[in-house]
Amino acid sequence: MIEIHEFLVAILRSGTPLIYVTMAGVIAQRAGVWHLGLEGLMIIGACATIAGIVLTGSFLSSILIAVAFCIVASILQWFVIEVLEADPIIAGLGITGLGIGGTALAVQSIFGSLAAVSAPFGVPRIGSAFGPYSPLSIFVLIMPVVVFGMWVLLHRTRFGLRLSSAGEHPAAARSVGANPSLMRLIAFCIGGVFCAVGGAELAAGSLQIFAQNMVAGRGFMSFAAVIFGGNHPVGGALAAMFFSLAGVIGIRMQIHFGAVIPHDVLLCLPYLATVFGVWITGRMRGGAKSAAHAAELRDR
Amino acid sequence: MIKRLEIVLRPLAFIALALILCGAIFECAGYSALLMFESILDGAFLHPGAWEKSLRWALPLFITAVGVSISFRCGFFNIGAQGQFYIGAICAAFVADALVWAPAAVVVPLGIVAGMAGGALWALWPGVLRLRSGTDEVITTLMGNFIAGLILVYVTSGPLKDPSGSGQQASSRILPPSFRISDSHGVSPTIVAIVALVAVAAWLLVNRTAFGTLSGLAGRNPVMLQFQGGRLWQLGLSSFLISGALAGLAGSIELFGPNGRIASGFLPTHGFTAILVALVANLSVAAAVVASVFFGGLFSAALFLPILAGLPSAAIDLINATIALFITAKFSLRKRIRLGRAPP
Repeated sequence: MIEIHEFLVAILRSGTPLIYVTMAGVIAQRAGVWHLGLEGLMIIGACATIAGIVLTGSFLSSILIAVAFCIVASILQWFVIEVLEADPIIAGLGITGLGIGGTALAVQSIFGSLAAVSAPFGVPRIGSAFGPYSPLSIFVLIMPVVVFGMWVLLHRTRFGLRLSSAGEHPAAARSVGANPSLMRLIAFCIGGVFCAVGGAELAAGSLQIFAQNMVAGRGFMSFAAVIFGGNHPVGGALAAMFFSLAGVIGIRMQIHFGAVIPHDVLLCLPYLATVFGVWITGRMRGGAKSAAHAAELRDR
Repeated sequence: MIKRLEIVLRPLAFIALALILCGAIFECAGYSALLMFESILDGAFLHPGAWEKSLRWALPLFITAVGVSISFRCGFFNIGAQGQFYIGAICAAFVADALVWAPAAVVVPLGIVAGMAGGALWALWPGVLRLRSGTDEVITTLMGNFIAGLILVYVTSGPLKDPSGSGQQASSRILPPSFRISDSHGVSPTIVAIVALVAVAAWLLVNRTAFGTLSGLAGRNPVMLQFQGGRLWQLGLSSFLISGALAGLAGSIELFGPNGRIASGFLPTHGFTAILVALVANLSVAAAVVASVFFGGLFSAALFLPILAGLPSAAIDLINATIALFITAKFSLRKRIRLGRAPP
């Protein structure tokens, strides 16, 4: 019984950061932009949270700092894609590079070396009332609410419909008085908040540490979860859960079969699960359609 | 004429913009931007022996970048050059390790071929997934990079582990000197000859063959390609294979040339920089020569930044990222001015 609880705690811990970042990807995708900057925004969020906790000593101000940095980076990405008409994929990779290089520079200039930075405390925990789940952070607790809220926002509000129309048919959106460009800016800003929370949960949710390369492709995985989840908040969350399940199974297998299967092969599992997920999506949607759709999005 | 001038000036303008933006960031972080530019210039080109060091990084970068530009021209965003580079180096290392007793004249060519085959194989599966089932190649190649990185960690700390190696970074056994095609400076007649061969072959392929013309068409207008009777399937798969093989070639050159061994996580930004080289060169082979020297120079300047400007070498990553951010911008002054005027 304890085994199952431990397993669930591990999945929620590794899945929650992915889910938050996936929400950022979903809202950007709805607005018609492939958000490959998720990886960089997540690194910025993680770094700003830990540095903020160390420097200010307050969790609330550190999360606000992380949100501010992520929104600034998101606006930069929006500006480059929308105003300068850069390729969204390359611009997203640029934001990712900016996150990796910028956080390295920040850590070096604040703490004097590139070593991992650890914080004295992290995200507040949900408390002992939840038994075996008490070590989880409050972000895990509000995650289902956020996913449901995203579904309501995108599917049940006027704003959500306008946002989706901005992505699917910008001309139609314009004809009803919605400004697609502004819609994308709003989507990117909301996404910035989610990425900050996702990064904060990754860095301060359980470990309370920021290390170089700690994100290790989770942002790209979240982007894959957007695709695998059919561009739907609930679908994306389930896809993100599936990827983190693969990671947790890999870690569990190390304990049991560590002597037989090399450790690094098991670490590949979440990446392989991601490839599998995107492959399944391509198959279900039909190759031609998704290829044409991709070309359409890129041409924009 | 103006159009040609714009093709040359545009990347330069964006690079200048990126440098200015980075300079501002560094000033904000409390470093001197002027000192940074000075040390970059010094480290890349002015310092005695700097040209050789810049070329050492530029040569493999050029090979990978040409591969990237061939697949980008065809309209496929193969951003897995990093993984293909790693797998190429790993395959070459296995060949060299298994044939330690054999003469170098056999092992080195065989190792290079194995490296190219390995790189091509690592580009083959995303290519097949893309062309058979429409699986987005951006994600599969990205995931391929992470998987290849883990395979490299496994290989260097498992089958090819150097037992005498100490420290944090696992690495393979160093190759016998007879297998090396250059010393640790990395610029030797053999490597330069390989790079020249790649340059000429790629230029001919892109500019003088049906493949080059049709793949350019495929990238710009796949529907038109179908009318012309071109097969996207064949073109796409060959462009994936060529780009993978070239990245693998660069990996095996690193192994047989300057590195002499493979280490876990070596040259982690090679693939990304190669993409930048291809984009700055506007996917042209000839321009990639200049662009790769520029980025090779930036890379070797990274070693000078901590000494001269007190900046961490991550500063170069930041400059590269900013260039990536702006380089594909379609923003053109002429278009804006025209749009501003009243329609005739």
